Amino acid sequence: MAKINLETTAVESREQRLGTIVYWDGNAQELSEQSGYSKKSKCGKGCNLCEMKGPFTQPSVCSEQMVECQAGNVREAVLIQHAPIGCSASQSMYNTIYRIGLASRGHKVENLRISSTNLTEGDMVFGGVEKLRLTIEDVWNHYHPQAIFVGTSCATGIIGDDVDSVTEEYTEKLGIPVIPLHCEGFRSKHWSTGFDQTQHGILRQIVRKPTKKQEDLVNVINLWGSDVFGPMLANLNLRVNYVVDMATVEELAQMSEAAVTVAFCNTLGTYLAEGLEQAFGVPQARAPQPYGVLGTDAWLREIARITHREHLVEDFIKSEHERIAPQVEELKKKLKGLEGFISTGSAYAHGLIEVMRELGVTINGSVVFHHDPVYDSGDESQDTLAHLVDNYGNVDNFVVSIRQPFQFFTALRKNNPDFILIRHNGLAPLAARLGIPAAPLGDEHIAIGYNGLINMGNLILEIIERKRFCQDLSKHVTHQYTDWWAAQTDPAILAKHPELIWDDADTAEAIPSKRPEPVRDGAGQ
Amino acid sequence: MTKQPSMKSESISRARFGCAIGAMHTAVAIPGTVPIADCGPGCADKQYISLVFYNGFQGSGYGGGASLPCVNTTEKEVVFGGNDRLRELIQASTKVMKADLFVVTTGCISDIVGDDVASVVGDFQKKNVPVVYAETGGFRGNNFIGHEEVVKSIVDQYVGGYDGPKEQGLVNVWTELPYQNTFWRGDLIEIKRILEGIGLKVNILFGHGSGGVEEWKTVPKAQFNLVLHTWLGLSVAKHLQAKYGQPFLHVPVIPVGSIGTTSFLREVGTYAGADPKKVEAFIKDEESKYYKYIEEFSEFYCEYFFGVPSKFAVVTDSAYALAITKFAVNNLGLIPVKVIITEDPPEEHRDAIREQFHRIADDVSVEVEFIEDGFVIEEALRNSERRPAIIFGTTWDRDVAKDIKAGIVEVSFPASYEVVLSRSYVGYRGALSFIEKIFTVTISASA
Repeated sequence: MAKINLETTAVESREQRLGTIVYWDGNAQELSEQSGYSKKSKCGKGCNLCEMKGPFTQPSVCSEQMVECQAGNVREAVLIQHAPIGCSASQSMYNTIYRIGLASRGHKVENLRISSTNLTEGDMVFGGVEKLRLTIEDVWNHYHPQAIFVGTSCATGIIGDDVDSVTEEYTEKLGIPVIPLHCEGFRSKHWSTGFDQTQHGILRQIVRKPTKKQEDLVNVINLWGSDVFGPMLANLNLRVNYVVDMATVEELAQMSEAAVTVAFCNTLGTYLAEGLEQAFGVPQARAPQPYGVLGTDAWLREIARITHREHLVEDFIKSEHERIAPQVEELKKKLKGLEGFISTGSAYAHGLIEVMRELGVTINGSVVFHHDPVYDSGDESQDTLAHLVDNYGNVDNFVVSIRQPFQFFTALRKNNPDFILIRHNGLAPLAARLGIPAAPLGDEHIAIGYNGLINMGNLILEIIERKRFCQDLSKHVTHQYTDWWAAQTDPAILAKHPELIWDDADTAEAIPSKRPEPVRDGAGQ
Repeated sequence: MTKQPSMKSESISRARFGCAIGAMHTAVAIPGTVPIADCGPGCADKQYISLVFYNGFQGSGYGGGASLPCVNTTEKEVVFGGNDRLRELIQASTKVMKADLFVVTTGCISDIVGDDVASVVGDFQKKNVPVVYAETGGFRGNNFIGHEEVVKSIVDQYVGGYDGPKEQGLVNVWTELPYQNTFWRGDLIEIKRILEGIGLKVNILFGHGSGGVEEWKTVPKAQFNLVLHTWLGLSVAKHLQAKYGQPFLHVPVIPVGSIGTTSFLREVGTYAGADPKKVEAFIKDEESKYYKYIEEFSEFYCEYFFGVPSKFAVVTDSAYALAITKFAVNNLGLIPVKVIITEDPPEEHRDAIREQFHRIADDVSVEVEFIEDGFVIEEALRNSERRPAIIFGTTWDRDVAKDIKAGIVEVSFPASYEVVLSRSYVGYRGALSFIEKIFTVTISASA
């Protein structure tokens, strides 16, 4: 696969590297065949899939937010948001998640440390680098951090602040890594570029040249999930090094000494795992993700192979199969006849559908927030969508939609599932209004490994009871879509026929005719 | 006029407000109104997830949250301009979403590259599409500033001119900032209730007590505007005064508890020319109910063996800080030891705010500090000469509260450890809920 370029401070966006798309409609089999891994793909690896584009869009999420939730959650480091104050509003969200994560891993619970340069109108004219210097000095004096990340913003990207020079200057002056993270929201259509940018900065300026190896250390690229990997890998006499969230700067630095790198999902981990392999010689697991018995078996065997623990792995797998089999059988009886719908990030959704199908739950539909036709390693063993389709069959309604509730509304009404599994905010409330309960997977680790089957089975049995709440709610709420949109059955109709928005007869219907003509003065001045 | 930036650090950690485009929630707070966010892919989500979700988990209602139309600006619009894309999105919005009014709020990108939003929106206005716009790029200020911009935009571009008769007894109320104030929904309902109680007809304008755009169309008919806030809404009231010849009454103290609420109602009643008999009858009835509960509460308050704390600190916006301090001092007999104002009120209003705090009671005067940076706030609390036993603050203050062994009552954004539905802390009824909250927190921490 392409060389990871650590020479420049800015990461190549995901669409440039991987051909990532955010809008597509069809079935999982077709998408797999059209993706970069497939021999049937017309244009080879890393090509651009045919992406749709529509005139109506609802809020996405930006790369800067992913920088905030990764670089801003490194213990003993500080993130500076070089931006007007609005970019900092979301600190409250990431703080809650950070605190819950710290508590779940047994760390001291405390607020995150993110500081804004608080750019205002004058800075848009005269530039904001001086304020950046002052903020770096503030956070240094306040916290004496072991690393300072500096995330850029749309505003600083447009006015052209030279952030790299300032970070370079302070790296020297303070004797700690001061790391520029170029994460202007407009530069990438998918937020996961923000993951890549954070990891790029860490690879460039924090990970140390290895002087020793820790042969029992496994880098686990994850978010805030509970400690599931630790107990599981302890069976192979391995220790985990969780990165990036809630890791210390030292834990990030030692990634180069690990025996192997794995990720809870390839969407998150693809760039860092490949970077560690190319730049520091740490192999990544070339295996399916650890979801369901099939994926977990293969994933464990790959880790055992790389770490020379083949002698331990088969016994562990066998005993785990025996341990969970009766529980899974019991759950399958209780879950029989249920239909679910999955809406999460891309690779995570592939894993969750596998878990659902092993539990005998029907999955005919999924909305994923983007699709990577290929991951950075380019290795077919990491083709998560093909692993799903080849081993568990097609998913009939497979929509790539960047968290667009209006499309989700149509897709859900078309599939009418008993429950949905969800990650990222904004969609579960919509499902509830349609009478469908949702399980928001805040702890992304609960679906991992053998216990993942049991955890997920039990979670669904709890969640489906919430239909009492959701169905009652659905009788008492009105949705905000026009009758025209509500009548559509194709979530991608506006991408196929964008001219429909200019159909004035229908537009008139969207505006109540009883409205008197508004009297205006000063309009448009 | 653009001023040369100062060379003093203005950095803010642990932000306690959004930016001007956060005022898309001013539109969301008007029933039936849907904002259209002309901004990058993260702006709308950031403002929603913070001001609405991790702030009492208020819920975005009809027009907000993840559902509002949003440009999600890409490099293309940055380089070539975003007018065509905005035009397309507004048109598509009228096709897909039901709204009585669309409010376009612009972000940094559109404002810096200089998109001609006025002209794009103007074309729709000429076709009688109910849509207005406000320039709310984040560098222009915070969501308090954005709020006043959005309100003026709706008044100027949608409500429009009016020279008909005024309606005696009709009042427009400009008070708490929707969503930023965690309890605004319940508070506005209570404010409307008590004003109606003395015989006024109330345009509350936001929230579940509002009649949406139909109510907004009656704004010019009101006898007067009531600005019930330390400063927010004053510029709106002055604008309406010039535009419609409407006078305004400025009451800086949002009333909490019987003492404040009763004097508030008398002041407004007198100003409005309400029937004094009706005013006094309502006050009498409300006070009699209020004091039955207070009498019962007094058994706990005066006899709880293990003591209840007295010294308190307040860390919130100037209006809620003033409301809480007045109530805590005058109704409960608590002792203010530190008041920190966090919403960065415009310079021209700061002396008036200081002055209000000098007159908390005849014998109680408080010096306030204006601080926006989380680190500095925490230091101020930690190093307070007298240690507060209760902090009325935000989620950010939980750590320092733990350090100095104070109870924390989250009253302000972000209040991420509160689930709030209709709860109010103002007026007669809200004060009772506030008392319940304060003392549940303090005795829960006891053992």
